[in-house]
Amino acid sequence: VTNVSLSGVRVLVVEDEMMVSMLLQDMLSDIGCTPVGPARRMGPALKLIEHAVFDIAILDVNLNGDESYPIADAFVFASGYSADSLREKYRSIPSLQKPFQQHELEQTLAAVLIRRPH
Amino acid sequence: MARKKQSGTRKASRRPAAPGRGVSAPRGSPAASSTPDKLSLVVGIGASAGGLEAFTRFFAHMPADSGMAFVLIQHLDPQRVSMLVELLSAKTTMPVTAAADGAPVTANSVFVIPPNAVLTIAEGVLRLSQPAPAREHRRPVDAFFTSLAVDQGERAACIILSGGGSDGTEGVRAVKEHGGLTLAQAEFDQHAMTGMPSSAAATGLVDFVLPVEDMPGRLMSYWSHLSGIEDRKGPDGSRQDMADAVLKICILLRRALGHDFIEYKRNTVVRRIQRRMQVLQIDNPADYFEHLRRTPIELDALFRELLINVTEFFRDPDAFAALQPVIRDIVAGKDADEQIRLWVPACATGEEAYSIAILLAEAMPTGRSTGPKVQIFATDIDEQAIATARAARYRKSLLSGVNEERRQRWFVKEDDHYSLIKSIRETCVFSTHSIVKDPPFSKLDLIVCRNLMIYLNAALQEKVLRTFHYALRPNGVLFLGTSESIGRLTSLYATVDKKHRIYRRRETSTALPGFPLVAARAAPDVAPAAVPAASESNVDKSARRVMEKHLPAYVVVDRNHDVIRFSGETDKYLGPSPGTASLNLFSLIRKPLRTPARAALQKALATQAMVSHENLMVQANGHRRLLDLIVEPLDDGHCVVVFAERPAPAAGRDASSQSQPSSDGLERELAATRERLQATIDELETSNEEMKSTNEEYQSVNEELQSTNEELETSKEEMQSINEELQTVNAELNSKNDQLTRAVGDLTNLKNSTQIATITLDGSLHIRDFTPPMTGLFHLRETDRGRPVTDLVTKLDYGDLQDDAARVIRDLASIEREVTLKDRDATFLMRMLPYRTIENVIAGVVMTFVDITDRQRLERERGMLSAIVDSSFDAIIGHTLEGTITNWNRAAEVMFGYQASDIIGKPMAVLFPAGRADEAVGLSKRIGHSEIIKSFDTELVRKDQTEIAVALTVSPVRSEGRRIVAASTIATDATARKKMEEHQTLLLHELSHRVKNTLATVQSITAQTLRASGVAPSARELLEGRLIALARAHDVLMERNWRDADLREIAGRALNAFTGSDAGRLRLEGPSVHVAPEAALALAMALQELATNASKYGALSNDGGYVDVSWTVQGKDQPAHSLRWQESGGPPVEAPNHQGFGSRLLKRNLAEELGGKVDVQYARGGVVCTIDFRLGGGEGDPA
Repeated sequence: VTNVSLSGVRVLVVEDEMMVSMLLQDMLSDIGCTPVGPARRMGPALKLIEHAVFDIAILDVNLNGDESYPIADAFVFASGYSADSLREKYRSIPSLQKPFQQHELEQTLAAVLIRRPH
Repeated sequence: MARKKQSGTRKASRRPAAPGRGVSAPRGSPAASSTPDKLSLVVGIGASAGGLEAFTRFFAHMPADSGMAFVLIQHLDPQRVSMLVELLSAKTTMPVTAAADGAPVTANSVFVIPPNAVLTIAEGVLRLSQPAPAREHRRPVDAFFTSLAVDQGERAACIILSGGGSDGTEGVRAVKEHGGLTLAQAEFDQHAMTGMPSSAAATGLVDFVLPVEDMPGRLMSYWSHLSGIEDRKGPDGSRQDMADAVLKICILLRRALGHDFIEYKRNTVVRRIQRRMQVLQIDNPADYFEHLRRTPIELDALFRELLINVTEFFRDPDAFAALQPVIRDIVAGKDADEQIRLWVPACATGEEAYSIAILLAEAMPTGRSTGPKVQIFATDIDEQAIATARAARYRKSLLSGVNEERRQRWFVKEDDHYSLIKSIRETCVFSTHSIVKDPPFSKLDLIVCRNLMIYLNAALQEKVLRTFHYALRPNGVLFLGTSESIGRLTSLYATVDKKHRIYRRRETSTALPGFPLVAARAAPDVAPAAVPAASESNVDKSARRVMEKHLPAYVVVDRNHDVIRFSGETDKYLGPSPGTASLNLFSLIRKPLRTPARAALQKALATQAMVSHENLMVQANGHRRLLDLIVEPLDDGHCVVVFAERPAPAAGRDASSQSQPSSDGLERELAATRERLQATIDELETSNEEMKSTNEEYQSVNEELQSTNEELETSKEEMQSINEELQTVNAELNSKNDQLTRAVGDLTNLKNSTQIATITLDGSLHIRDFTPPMTGLFHLRETDRGRPVTDLVTKLDYGDLQDDAARVIRDLASIEREVTLKDRDATFLMRMLPYRTIENVIAGVVMTFVDITDRQRLERERGMLSAIVDSSFDAIIGHTLEGTITNWNRAAEVMFGYQASDIIGKPMAVLFPAGRADEAVGLSKRIGHSEIIKSFDTELVRKDQTEIAVALTVSPVRSEGRRIVAASTIATDATARKKMEEHQTLLLHELSHRVKNTLATVQSITAQTLRASGVAPSARELLEGRLIALARAHDVLMERNWRDADLREIAGRALNAFTGSDAGRLRLEGPSVHVAPEAALALAMALQELATNASKYGALSNDGGYVDVSWTVQGKDQPAHSLRWQESGGPPVEAPNHQGFGSRLLKRNLAEELGGKVDVQYARGGVVCTIDFRLGGGEGDPA
């Protein structure tokens, strides 16, 4: 499906829903990525962004009521919101609609990595 | 009868400057010839400020050597420098100069009035006075023309060119009166231009109305005619060769028009005829007579010329002031029930009559409500003038003698004119009447006859004065013109004011002269008797004086035996007798001669031959004389009575007695004869005495008869006067009657045209009059006039009519009431007013009924509609198509904060935010262009400049003719709705988020559960796939707010995951169909199963297969849907041997859910699944 290698890619996971966060980490591990985090709230997430080493981030738009846009620029959203309701300026950033399948996650990560110069 | 004029100017007109007594040349210089350098005419040209163009055209046609001088009078702004001199210099070779004081008027020159000046001419020299008077008194054209007329007479010509106002009109009158030529500029044909030319032409005194180009030619021919007849003129400017023609013309006039000018002053008549000849350019008097005979219109023109008329109010103010006390005396001498009677003969256009009427009105005692009644008879022979007088309407210029106080009190201003007030107008009775032809009025207190007699010769003057004497009551007053007098008739009139010609009638009985005064008898004094006497030489005179001593005494008597001439020593035979002084021969002649004289006269007159009585004995100065009385008739009924004395007989007798011796016989016989003779004489004397007494008796009878006759005469005259008066009054009444008839016609038409039911009732509510629409309210017929209105059946529900009418009559106030009909739903506005007669007496009521049924209905409807509008919670705003607000309901006041009174009339733009004012105008315009504007959301601003979200609906307001005349804008407050919508969206998003999070959580839980329990990954994927399909379907529904979902969207989302990057393998085709949420979920799940199957075993399991999903919709109401799933290009298909979740879902549950039919065919080429279902109310949209 993709010629981008996801092996070893470090993915920061910011997701408040515990079960979803677990599933996401499983999926990332299955496709060879290294999950970083996870963070469940805004504060810890911002700290991780400062200190942790990662290549890519998956953000839940709604972090227990807070929107994760402030840390969104370079990151991928994982959200229950439909693409329409994402704010205009983040439209171009690839998004995943919950619930998603593993291959969808793979494709989205690949798409982000292709767009980003290494 | 004729015409008035102040004596000063009259004199001047009598002696027009004859050509030859040129103005620039000293008087007495030879007659002007056509030599170009001699001054011919002096031409005054008047124009207003814009006259340059007309001047230019005039001089373009005027040769430079005409010998005329031109004086241009223009209305100039006193502040500005005129360029006229420079401009005109370029247009003519004649020298053009600004007029200077003292400059002589020279031939072939043009003079221009300078600004701010009044220019006049006197003795051929220009007179300039500066500055000009204030604008309202500035009439420079009149001023110059008047002086020009006086100075130049018939050598004056005046031209009125274009200009506004009436300046020049009086000037034209003066020029015409003095015999000059008058021209006015034509607009087209012979119609005078509006403004000054038409004002001048309206007097009828403009000789020619011409285009400017034709004027020079007219001037030239006028001059050539004038100079042609120069040598035939006498020293007073009247032609000497006219005598015959004048007489004939006068006879013609008398025959044609019934007016006799024979005894008018000859020179006046001649000059006026001459003027007509000049105007017509006829040289020969005989030719003119012929022209006159053939052209009746010229008779009228000449008549008018003879009656040239200059008069104005209070002309000669000093004289009128002198008359004031006389009038006061007349008024003071009358009781309230008496009448003051006045006569103004020759009243012309009435100014004088009205002036007198005003004096009388002013003299009336103010305290008394009713003074004596005033009756002024104003007469003239000129019917046109009488018509003008009757109209009682005068141009402002004629009122110069009327001071402001009098104007205010006695006149009513109408535009440029003044009308006399009614009370003055009514005291004057105008009538055509000839003082010469018609009997006079009688018992007059005052006769005002000014400037008439100057036209009459001495004989006619005397007759007129005798007529006046007859017409005046004892002590009546006669008021004459300044240059007139009673002449010799001091026995008839006593002088009251010599300077101002006021006289009082003396108490002498006079017989009324026979009428007409100028009888149609033998030709009058064509050759006056005085002429031969005047030609007597001195030698003749001396010889006659000598001869008189030797001639016998004689007298000449007329038909009435009145002595008209004495000659020689008549005192021997004639002497005054006691009693009334008399010139009658028989009262003068000595008694012994009386009888023979009477006999001789009678015989002489009867036989028309000489009669002589010889040897009559008279005793005079103590001597006896013998006398021959010779009577010889003359041609005209006169007789000469000659007293020829015989040489003294005594001497002869003495001689014979001495020479002849006496004889006794003879002496005795003589004695006897003497005795017989004596006896005979005695007898004769006795019978003589008897005869005498008989004669005396006869005489006294005769006296009685005569006095009876005189009484009858007087009665007859009185009857004549009364008759005349009655005729005058009758004419006046007739003219009033005509006016009334017209007024009644006008009123009837007006009344009928109003269509308003009107009824007039008298004081006792009897019907006086009604209009046709009234029959709809009362059962009225024409014959009902005069019946009491209460007797009539009315359709009105109005019981208080009588009370109301009584109240109106009592309170003099009007009543308004709405009255309805009994039988029909109709409402009338009834208005009842008191009926006032012209005398302001209340004589009933007037009722009008106006149908207001429709108005009331509309009023009600309007009230209802406005209540609805006012009760609305939406702001409803009416505005014009230009966007101006006209209506503003209560909700709008609340919504926007403006009160209706503040905002109505303002533009709609005030409701729009600052940058969007254009939008407001645009909306109104679009509505005006019939564009349909759908309701839309927008923001408007309140009075406090805060914004308000509204839904706007703009709709057209149409007139009855379906034309769009305005617009209404309805603004609904959208704030609350917006908030709700936002909240709803938020909730939906939250719900969607929660659902999907929950699904994700379920996914995670099952994944981990299944992973831990060692379930095959394929089973996990299957489960995951179904969960995700459910989530995708929710997504689609969520986007449509859970209302419905698009079939294509459902299918696309469900299948996307299977095709991955190779989207071309899935082909979707069909119309846009919206399906209900439940059906959408079921369909999504079914498609998920089909796709899962395909990716495992069917077309999506290899690299080359395709899936076609197509659907069709048929029908409108509850349309039939048919969805078809067809795989192709996959591996060969085998029917599954057991029924899995997928086929269970498809075949049973989906069919049930959709209420349709599902069919799955496992054809070898690929699975085909058809799903037929109906959607209740689902729309098929071919897009």
